[in-house]
Amino acid sequence: MELRAQPKHQISSKGLTVWRVYGVIQTVILCIVGGAACYGTYYFEWPSFIYFIAGAVVVLSIILSIWLFPKIRWERWRYEVREHEIEVQHGLFVVKRTLIPMVRVQHVDTTQGPILKKYDLSNISISTAATVHTIPALIMDEADHLRARISELARVAEDDV
Amino acid sequence: MSKEINRLHPISAVIESVKALRNLILPIAIIVVTNGFNFSLNIHSEHFWETVMLFGVGGGLAILTLVSGIVKWRTFVYWFEDGELRVKYGLFVKKKRYIPFERIQSLNYHEGIFHRLFGLVKVQVETAGNKDGKPEVELTAIEKGAANAIELAMRQAKTQEVVEEIVEVEEIPSTAIYKMSIRDLLILATTSGGIGVVLSGVGAVVSQFSDIIPYKAVFNELADFVRIGAFVIGLLSFAVLIVAWVVSVIITLINYYDYTVRIEDEKLMITKGLLEKKRITLPLNRIQAIRIIENPVRQFFGFVAVTVESAGGNGESGKDKKIMLFPLMKKQESLVVLEELFPTMNWQPQFVRSPKRARPFFYRIDFIWLLPIIGASSYFLYPYGLLSVLAIPLFMAFGAWQHHTAGYSLDGKQLTLQYRMFSRITFFMEKKRIQSMESTQTYFQKRKQVMSVNATVMSGTSGTTGTVSNIEQHDVETILAWYEH
Repeated sequence: MELRAQPKHQISSKGLTVWRVYGVIQTVILCIVGGAACYGTYYFEWPSFIYFIAGAVVVLSIILSIWLFPKIRWERWRYEVREHEIEVQHGLFVVKRTLIPMVRVQHVDTTQGPILKKYDLSNISISTAATVHTIPALIMDEADHLRARISELARVAEDDV
Repeated sequence: MSKEINRLHPISAVIESVKALRNLILPIAIIVVTNGFNFSLNIHSEHFWETVMLFGVGGGLAILTLVSGIVKWRTFVYWFEDGELRVKYGLFVKKKRYIPFERIQSLNYHEGIFHRLFGLVKVQVETAGNKDGKPEVELTAIEKGAANAIELAMRQAKTQEVVEEIVEVEEIPSTAIYKMSIRDLLILATTSGGIGVVLSGVGAVVSQFSDIIPYKAVFNELADFVRIGAFVIGLLSFAVLIVAWVVSVIITLINYYDYTVRIEDEKLMITKGLLEKKRITLPLNRIQAIRIIENPVRQFFGFVAVTVESAGGNGESGKDKKIMLFPLMKKQESLVVLEELFPTMNWQPQFVRSPKRARPFFYRIDFIWLLPIIGASSYFLYPYGLLSVLAIPLFMAFGAWQHHTAGYSLDGKQLTLQYRMFSRITFFMEKKRIQSMESTQTYFQKRKQVMSVNATVMSGTSGTTGTVSNIEQHDVETILAWYEH
């Protein structure tokens, strides 16, 4: 048996930018905390390895949460809306693939924070009776279109079991 | 249909107040304790005003809860009209709630000690759409006759819907499908949560053998102290655990006394309890999945517990979403009863097991935290710390055990997953009940062509997930393909 094909669609490259922006925000916060720690070390004469820890945390944050993690996440993210089901693939270290049958879809929401809005993106979440699945950072038009399409398909899908 | 206005029994005022007062006890107790019991009614004492404040506020709150209990009882009325159960209550803000009888999923009865004394019952009315697991309507205390009247009215409304003429509703026969024997009840009570006792017993015995270890040569005087200390602590914790165990045995005996499951009109009725009686109603069509749980001790003796996942609320508290169906049963017996209840399901599926090459995945992840601990304890607690190396074969054996259990079975419209943490869980679900499925694979799993798979069914107001780890990748793909079409 051959491997299952990956879901077709990738999310917009603007999504990658947004994740990098999130990474930058996180790094800035870490810089402030690290700066405060260094300041404290200088004035209260705490052990000097604190400088190194603070520095390492900031450097790691720059490498991981700005560069590496968004890249991997973005490359991994795939989704596909078919007639009978929605398939989603994501994950950083663990590749997760989720199948949601149309019959099980209860409602679809799109949400948008200030940063997503600036880049004209929005998240779409698909709810079943038990679970919620989110496809992040879709172009607004695409998200609206997708939401309409899913709710339409979900309405026609009949329970054949 | 009667338009008679019904009230709750006066005792419900007492029950409501007691319930509210119970919530007050803890904060007041904390204040009293933190104050160090420094109370005085002597006006010259420095604690006088504190005391007055505390008792004033506490007393005020107590009176308030009493009054609110009485108000709730006085204002609460319910009646039947237009095929609906209608409820009205509230003093300043009046609330009305109308529930069509055909929407009522279940009536759960609960008899506390107060109820038992006066021949009353608490009735919880549940519908499919209740929020956060709370019942839609709760009648705190009504007479048993009144409870039967609701049930009759509900049944009448439901049958009238189908056949207009039928007015006389015949008693639907109910058959007991399971009744827990005293022997089983005792086994249940004594084996639940007993593992801690066994462990501490082992600990106490081991501390006896400390004579063999040459403490004296190493530590000299310190040794006596350490040894006696360890023995006393071992003995003490053993005693505490024994007491805790006896208490848990008694609680289990009281809670599960006379545990009976009956089937009536496509509904399961579970009754249980010695001092407090409970009756939980569970419509069969709300059941989403069934789990057979075998904890290692009980598995050894061939006993299982069966729980069901049910959509919507249930008579138990909101947090406990899975409902115990059979707390303890011989495995063969349970399969016979389940076969009878759910004849469309296959209760003895053939499992496809996790492949041999997947075994390391079940314990390899533990090494991440195990190795640093072993390293540290070997270094700092040399030479006895080296004993921690023994944890490696222990965890490997444990992983191999989990590997041995992991498996799945596809059978027509049914998926069965089997796995264990400690207890072996066999998760039976129908395709139409599965809300979503997910496969997960790490880089290392990919190299070995193995995959994990999980399926989520509805449970209570959210979901519950069954996971089988590290089975053949093409098996997972078969399962997903099965789920797709």
